[in-house]
Amino acid sequence: MAVTSKTAPVAVTATAIPAEKPPNKYRQALPQYLAVSPFFILFAVFGAFPVLFSIWISFHSWDGIGPMTWVGLEQYRYLLSDATFWQTIGNTLIIWVLSTVPMLLLALVIANALHNATRLRTFYRIAYFIPNVTSVVAITLVFGSIFSNNFGLLNAFLQSIGVGQVEWLTSPWGIKIAIATIVTWRWVGYNAIIYLAGLQAISADVYEAAKVDGASPRQTFWRITVPMMRPVILFTAVTSTIGGLQIFTESRVLFGDTNNIGGPGDAGLTIVSYLYQSAFIKNQFGYGAAIGWALFILIVLFSIINWRLIGGTDDERLTRRAARRVERRIAAQNAKREAADVR
Amino acid sequence: MSVERVRTAVGHVVLMLGVLVSLFPFYWMVVMASNTTPDIFSYPPKLVIGSHLFENMGKVLDNIDFFGSMLLTLVASLGVTVLVLFFDSLAAFAFAKYQFPGRNLLFGILLATFMIPSQLALVPQFVTLAEFGWIGSLKALIIPGAANAFGIFWMRQYAKGAIPDELISAAKVDGAGFFRQYLTVGLPVLRPGLAFLGIFTFINVWNDYLWPLIVMTDPNRLTLQVALDQLNGIYGTDYSMVMAGALMSVIPLIGVFLIGARSFIADLAAGAMKF
Amino acid sequence: MWTWVGSVNDDLIGQAEQAIPGFDAMKLAMTRIGSNYKTKVLTALAGKSLVPDIVAINDDVATYFPNADQFHDLFELGAKDLEKDFLPWKWKLGITPQNKMMAYPMDTGPTALFYRSDILTKAGVDIDPAAVAELAPDWDAYIALGKKLKQAVPGSAITDNISGIFDYRMAQQPKRYMTEDGQYIGDQDHVRQAFDLAVRVVKEGLSANAQNSTDKNAVVTNGKLVAYNAAVWWAQLGPKNAAPKTKGLWRVTAAPGGAGNRGGSFLAITKYCKNPEAAFAFISWLESAKNQAQAFLDPVLFPSTPASYTDPKLAAPDPFFGGQKIVDVFAESAKKYPGAFFSPYDSIVGTPIGKELVNVEASGKDPDVAWADAQHQVERELTRAGAI
Repeated sequence: MAVTSKTAPVAVTATAIPAEKPPNKYRQALPQYLAVSPFFILFAVFGAFPVLFSIWISFHSWDGIGPMTWVGLEQYRYLLSDATFWQTIGNTLIIWVLSTVPMLLLALVIANALHNATRLRTFYRIAYFIPNVTSVVAITLVFGSIFSNNFGLLNAFLQSIGVGQVEWLTSPWGIKIAIATIVTWRWVGYNAIIYLAGLQAISADVYEAAKVDGASPRQTFWRITVPMMRPVILFTAVTSTIGGLQIFTESRVLFGDTNNIGGPGDAGLTIVSYLYQSAFIKNQFGYGAAIGWALFILIVLFSIINWRLIGGTDDERLTRRAARRVERRIAAQNAKREAADVR
Repeated sequence: MSVERVRTAVGHVVLMLGVLVSLFPFYWMVVMASNTTPDIFSYPPKLVIGSHLFENMGKVLDNIDFFGSMLLTLVASLGVTVLVLFFDSLAAFAFAKYQFPGRNLLFGILLATFMIPSQLALVPQFVTLAEFGWIGSLKALIIPGAANAFGIFWMRQYAKGAIPDELISAAKVDGAGFFRQYLTVGLPVLRPGLAFLGIFTFINVWNDYLWPLIVMTDPNRLTLQVALDQLNGIYGTDYSMVMAGALMSVIPLIGVFLIGARSFIADLAAGAMKF
Repeated sequence: MWTWVGSVNDDLIGQAEQAIPGFDAMKLAMTRIGSNYKTKVLTALAGKSLVPDIVAINDDVATYFPNADQFHDLFELGAKDLEKDFLPWKWKLGITPQNKMMAYPMDTGPTALFYRSDILTKAGVDIDPAAVAELAPDWDAYIALGKKLKQAVPGSAITDNISGIFDYRMAQQPKRYMTEDGQYIGDQDHVRQAFDLAVRVVKEGLSANAQNSTDKNAVVTNGKLVAYNAAVWWAQLGPKNAAPKTKGLWRVTAAPGGAGNRGGSFLAITKYCKNPEAAFAFISWLESAKNQAQAFLDPVLFPSTPASYTDPKLAAPDPFFGGQKIVDVFAESAKKYPGAFFSPYDSIVGTPIGKELVNVEASGKDPDVAWADAQHQVERELTRAGAI
C-alpha cells in the first residue's frame, strides 16, 4: 500500500492539532452497557443465580420449610435408580413422538395447501392460529371431557359406529394419545404458518425448472421442497423438541384433582410434572432441583441430536461452509480493490 | 373439470377440514357451557347449543372472583410486556447497531441462556422469592418474567434489518447521544417489531400456568388460568359451569388476538425465516 | 383461616366472621380451599408470606410434626384445661413426640356401612339395620352380600374404587405402617390382608373403577354404588351432595369388619398469627361440644366431644336416611374404635401402596408384583427420608 504520498498531508496537519489521549473505549461504550444492563441484571438475579442455587439445593434434602440437610450426590443416585423418573422420561418421549411427528407432517400438508390456495388466505391463517393463543387450561378441560371414559364425545361416537368405548383417560396409551392430541391440535397451525413462510421463500424458478424437466408433484415435493425447507424444518423440530420435553399443563389439568397428577399408573406423568410433584406436592425441594438438571441435560442432548439429524449431512455443511468462505474472500478482495481505487 | 381445478378444490377441502378440527373444540365448549351438567352426562350426548349459557356464567361469577382474577392477569401481562418491550428493545438496539467491547461475548452469553429450561429455575427461584417476601404477590409474576432473552434476540434481528446505519450516523452528527438516537431513530422504526413482541409476550404471560400455580399462594388472588383450574378442582362436578368458566377465560384473549392477528401472523412468519 | 370445602359448619363460621367470641374487635377471614389443600398449605409455609393464621389439618396431622416449630404450642395457650371434653385417642393425635400440642381436635370419622335400601329390597334382603349388620358382620359376608346385590341389579358396586376398600379396612386396624419407636411394619400381614381384600373386591367385579372425583361422584349419582363401608363424612360428600334424589333411600349399620375411623380433622395456629390468643379463643369456641353438635347437621361432622352425642341435634332422626337415628351407629363406632399410631412417614408409605392398588385396578397389574413394587418403593423412600 502506498505510504509516502498519503501520509504527507496528514503529517502536515498533525503538527497543527495538539495530540489527544485516545478515548477510553469502555467509557465511550457506557450508554450501550447501560442499555443492555437491565436484561443482564435481571438475568443474573433471576436466571443465573437460580441455576447455581439449584445445584446447591440438589445436594441437600429439604422440604422447603425446615432446615436443609446435606446429602451430597444422594439425590442424583436416587434419581438414576428411580423407576418413576425413567418412566417419566419414557412418557415424555412417547408423548413427544406421538405429537411431533403427526404435527409436523400435518403442518407441512396444510402449509402446502395454503401455499396453493389463492382465496380465503387470511381467514385460514387466523383460523389455524387460534388454537395456539388459547389458554391451555381451558382447552385441556374441553379435551378432557371429549376424551372422558364415561361421558366423552369421542367414546359416544365410537360406540355409535360400533367400535366400542376406549378407556382414554385410564389406560396408559389412551392417556398419552389424549395428551399428544391436545399438543398436536395446539401447534399444527403455528408450525404450518412457519412452513408456509418457508415455502413462499422458495423462488418459483426452481419449480419452473423442475416442471420443465418433467418432475412429478411428488418428486418435486420430496427432492426440492423438503431439502430447501431444511432450515425451517430444523427450526420447528428443535422448538417442538424443547417444547415437548417441557409438557406439564395438559397432564396436570387432566388429572390435577388428585395428588396423583400423572393419572392412573403415572401414564401421563411428564418430567416437569414429576419435578412439580416432587418439589411442591411431596415437598422434596432437593429432589426437584435434581430433576431440573436432568431435564436440562436431556434438552441439550436432544437439541444436538435434532441438529445433527436434520441439519444436513456433513458434506452439505462443508460445502456450505466452503461456499461462505469463498464468498468472504471475494468480498474482502473487492473491498481492497475499492479502497485502492479510491486512493 | 381441469386437473388444476380439482387440485384447488381438494386443497380447499383439506383446509376446511383442518379449520373444522381447529375450531371444533370451541364449538364444543359453547355447547357444554350452554347446557346443564346432567345433559352433558347423558347418552347420547347433546350436540347443539342449549339455553343455559348465562345461567352457567352467573354461577361461575358466584364461585370465583372471575373479574378480579382477570384484572390480576391483565396487570401481570401488561407489566411484563411493558418491561420486556422497553428493556429488550433498548438492549437489542445496542447489540444490533453499535460496536462496543465485549459485545460478542455478551451476546453469546445471551444465546446460551436459551438452552436453559425455565423449569430448572423453578425451585430455586421460588426459594429466592420466598426470602424476598414476594411469594403470592404480583411482583413474583412480573419481575422474573422480564428477564427474557427471546425478546432481545428477536428485536436484534429486526433492528439489524430495519434500521439503516445512515439514520444513526445522521443523528450522531446532529449531536444526539445514544439514548436520543434510540428514541428518535430506533423506536419509530422498531414499532412493528415491538408490536409483535408485545402481543407475543402478552399472550404468553396471560396463558402461563405453571409459574403462577406455584407462586400465587394466596387463594384469593389468582391469575385466570389458576383460577379456572381451581374452579375445576372445587366444582368439577358441575361440568357445564366449568366449561362456561373456560369459555369466559378464553374469549378476552382471542378477542385481543383477532384485532392484531393479521400483522402478528405475518411477523411471526417473517421472523422465523430469519433463523 | 384456611380450610377445605366441607370441613366446617357455615353458620358458625358466619358468626365468627362477624366477631370472634371474646374478642369483639377481631373477625374471622375464612378462605375455603377447593383442591390440593395440603399442597397449598405447605407451599404457603415454604413461601413464607401470606401464610394464614389458622389452618385445618386432616388425619395426616403427624406428617406435620417435623415442622411443628411453624405452629404455636396450644398448651401455652391454655389447651390443657379442655382435655377432658374430648375423646382421649383423638386428643393424643394432635400432640407431638416432644409433648407439644400442635393441633386441636376438630371432628372424627367413625365408619359404618352405608347401603341403598331400595337396592337391597330388589335383592330380597331385609333392610332393617340390625338385620343387615347380622347378615354382613365381616368382609367375607359383605362381599357375598355384594354379589347378591349385583345379581339383582347388574352393575352394582360396593366401593367406588379399589382404594376405598383398602383405606377403610386399614381404618379398622389398631396398627398402621410404623410403630411408635420407628419400626416399619407396613409389609406385615395386617397390611397385606387389607391389600388382598381390596384386590379381591375388584376381582369379584364389585368395584366401580371410579378413579377421579368426577367419576366417583358420578357412580353415586347414577346409582352404581349401592353400598359402601365408609366414614361418616361420606354421607355429605357422597349421597347428600351427589345424589340428592336418593333422599330417604339410604341407611347405615355397623361396618363389616369392625369399628373404624378414617379422617377427622384438626386445627392449628401458625407462628405467623399475630394474635394467637384470639385464634385459640376462636378454635376452642368452634370445637365446644355444643357447636360440634351443630356442625353435625351440616356438613355431617362427627364430634370429637362425647358430650355432643346426647345433644338433641345429633339424636334427631335423619330424613335423608329414612328417619334413621344415624348417631347411634356412628357413636358406637367412635367408641369402639381401637385407635392406632400415625407416624410422620405415613404418607410416604401410603402413597406407593395406593398407587400400586390403582395399577392393579386400572391397568390390570398382577397384585403380587404390585405389592412387591410398592414395598420396594416404600423402602427406597423411607431410606431417603432417613426413617429406616
